[in-house]
Amino acid sequence: MLNKKAQVGESITWVVATIIVIVLLLIFIYASILLSKTKSLESGKENSEYSFDWINSKTQIAYSINDKNKDKIEDWISQSKKDE
Amino acid sequence: MNKYNMNKRGTDKILSIYWFFILALIAGGIIAMVYVFYGTPYDVREIESEILSEKVADCISSKGTIDSEFFADSTFNTKISETFIKKCNFNFNVEEGYGDINEVQYFYEVEFYILEDLENPAFSFYNGNNNWKTDCSIKKENDKEYVKLAKCTEKRFYALSEEGNQYLIKILSVIGKSEKNVK
Repeated sequence: MLNKKAQVGESITWVVATIIVIVLLLIFIYASILLSKTKSLESGKENSEYSFDWINSKTQIAYSINDKNKDKIEDWISQSKKDE
Repeated sequence: MNKYNMNKRGTDKILSIYWFFILALIAGGIIAMVYVFYGTPYDVREIESEILSEKVADCISSKGTIDSEFFADSTFNTKISETFIKKCNFNFNVEEGYGDINEVQYFYEVEFYILEDLENPAFSFYNGNNNWKTDCSIKKENDKEYVKLAKCTEKRFYALSEEGNQYLIKILSVIGKSEKNVK
């Protein structure tokens, strides 16, 4: 009788251990799915300290030639940034 | 050999089978994790569309002046849409094996505005697969980014003609390639 109780106790230990291993694996697999969804490369120009807006530089060079109606032009250009 | 020793041998066998099962389970889990993470491609379409729009802008103007090829007899040269790809050295037929056969995965549209009318373009032209353009409007209307939709970039800048006329230029560049960039 005593021997049987010990066997049941030991079996429960292994069952619990197996469940813990499976749960841990599922957590890691789920984490890797979440991580894989972040695999996209963005320009990050807004956050970069050394960012250089190539398109904006064209506008600035054109201003150096003729900056008439600058406010109107700036308003129009900024509309695209609002839309993004 | 008594009966208790025999019983112990049986337990050892069961335990070793259990350990192999756990080993296989963990190995399978690790394989699944690696497959999920490394099997997902990097989505580079956003950067690609930005690069395309910058390349298009480079072909239109340099040093603040619009290229003289865009004008013919003081109006816009309507034939520029045919020669623009060659002028910019663009090759859009590089995505064989993805999407429909020979389906071009790129699109760009250039619109020129004059200051007097900023709603309607004075001149516009486009190249590439026009079907991708609808994806941009879906995103804007719903304000929700669907992963499988094409990536769009809109850039605006200011430039002058050689005669000194002021023009505002809007470039829309679109990259399809969802099969290659999204799993």
